[in-house]
Amino acid sequence: MSGDVRTVFNARFPRAARSARTAAREWGRLGEQTAFYVEALVNIRQALTRYMTETLRVLAEMSLGVGALALLGGEVVVLAVLTGAAAAVVGIFGYVQASSLGVGAIAGFFSAYANVRLQLPLVVANGLAATIGAGATAQLGAMRISEEIDALEVIGIRSIPYLVSTRVLGGLLVVPPLYCVTFVGSVFITRTVVILAYHQGAGGFDHWFNTFLLPRDVLVSGLECTVQAVIVMLIHTYYGYTASGGPAGVGEAVGRAVRASIFVSITITFVLALVLYGKSGDFHLSG
Amino acid sequence: MVSTLPLVGLTKPLKKPLREVGGFVALALDTFVQMVRPPFFWRECLEQCWFVSRVATIPAIAQSIAFNGMVVYLFGVAAVSFGAGDINGAGSGLATVSQIGPVATVFVLSGAAATAMCADLGARTIREEIDAMRVLGINPVHRLVVPRVVALIITGNLINGLVIISGLCADYAFTIYALNGNPGAFATSVTLLTNLPVVVVSFVKASIFGMLAGLIACYKGLTAGGGPQGVGSAVNETVVYTFMALLIANVIISVITATTTLAT
Repeated sequence: MSGDVRTVFNARFPRAARSARTAAREWGRLGEQTAFYVEALVNIRQALTRYMTETLRVLAEMSLGVGALALLGGEVVVLAVLTGAAAAVVGIFGYVQASSLGVGAIAGFFSAYANVRLQLPLVVANGLAATIGAGATAQLGAMRISEEIDALEVIGIRSIPYLVSTRVLGGLLVVPPLYCVTFVGSVFITRTVVILAYHQGAGGFDHWFNTFLLPRDVLVSGLECTVQAVIVMLIHTYYGYTASGGPAGVGEAVGRAVRASIFVSITITFVLALVLYGKSGDFHLSG
Repeated sequence: MVSTLPLVGLTKPLKKPLREVGGFVALALDTFVQMVRPPFFWRECLEQCWFVSRVATIPAIAQSIAFNGMVVYLFGVAAVSFGAGDINGAGSGLATVSQIGPVATVFVLSGAAATAMCADLGARTIREEIDAMRVLGINPVHRLVVPRVVALIITGNLINGLVIISGLCADYAFTIYALNGNPGAFATSVTLLTNLPVVVVSFVKASIFGMLAGLIACYKGLTAGGGPQGVGSAVNETVVYTFMALLIANVIISVITATTTLAT
């Protein structure tokens, strides 16, 4: 009976039937994705106890890079360059905006404010997505299409703890030191730009910078980066793990994964910025 | 024989990066030469434009809204406490047109469009379809690279425009409804700092970013090797190199233009 109804519906409204099927497939995909994430997170303990060597290998690969990336100095250098570039923009525009209000000396405030709250979480998440995230998708996708993941299952190694959880754990461990490097680098670059390029007094800059650098903000932004790294690794390993359609399919999976994780990380930064700093901004110019 | 030349040992590790840079420059020059040679492949170019706009439109709009919301909140709050809440429009106009538009375009182009292009070309390369084209006397640069680069330049500009418009709408909504700003003051002050040179520079940036992303994607795709794994790492390198190249280009262009455009 229900089969008849479905056939009639399909024949009568082909377009509506197709979009209903697409919606159902996407809904199922969402559930699959959630199940995958839960399994990967639950198995982190196993990655820590049983696959410690693999975790350390993945960690080394993430932080210092392999292949062509290692020539550049790996993830650390890539992220330092990215955040440095963004910090230079913060310096240029912070100073120009502030001086258009007639308070050019207050550019240090923009360094403490925009670098910590906005620039670092965003750029670190995007940089992670573009480098180690895209790398994980490409690796896992290549393993999937050359049926290496199936081979792992056949020889009795559970693929999700071995391939996915180790990478998620690696992302979790690699971020805190990475965050320290990028934080110091971007603060230093903004200061250099404002002081050397725009000839501002170092004392004034440092005064405003120290006044508005809240320790809580730094801590929160570091935690935010760590959480984002875990999310980025989860999304990227999912797209790689489920890649299909040959080499071109792997490439498309990388594109989809980068898009999805950038979208998610920006939304997270936005929502967290509203929740944590809100309308008041939590700073007081008049002391 | 080699051991008599002590410098050979030193040049060896430098050889590969130098070759890569040289190969990239050669491909770029080749593309510029082939770009002006008469038969231009409109159909391919149009298809690529359609493809890029299909994958990039929605993420671009979402990014621009999120970026702008944050900028309005963080800097709008600061401006209000300086007692300069009325110039929120000026700040958001400048930030959107000169930085957020091009940077969001970078993220979308390199994340979504360039990776798919590189994967496509890389898959063709490892299946030796590109070599087959060469054997048939078809120049792959003329036939494949030029339409892709032109398509990315065109869509880069379109996406930039889209990001700026949706970003300004988001700015307006946030300023008026969340920060209780003055709609009239916002609308009048949008053009306070943002003038024609700023807009022109923004679109020049978008064109340069599109061109760089296209060239890097095509270069990595055409030089992919080593089976499916090679395509995967080529795509990965595309993302890294486009991100770095485009963000550094953004800083350089900002430094060059910030003083000239903002002096007015």
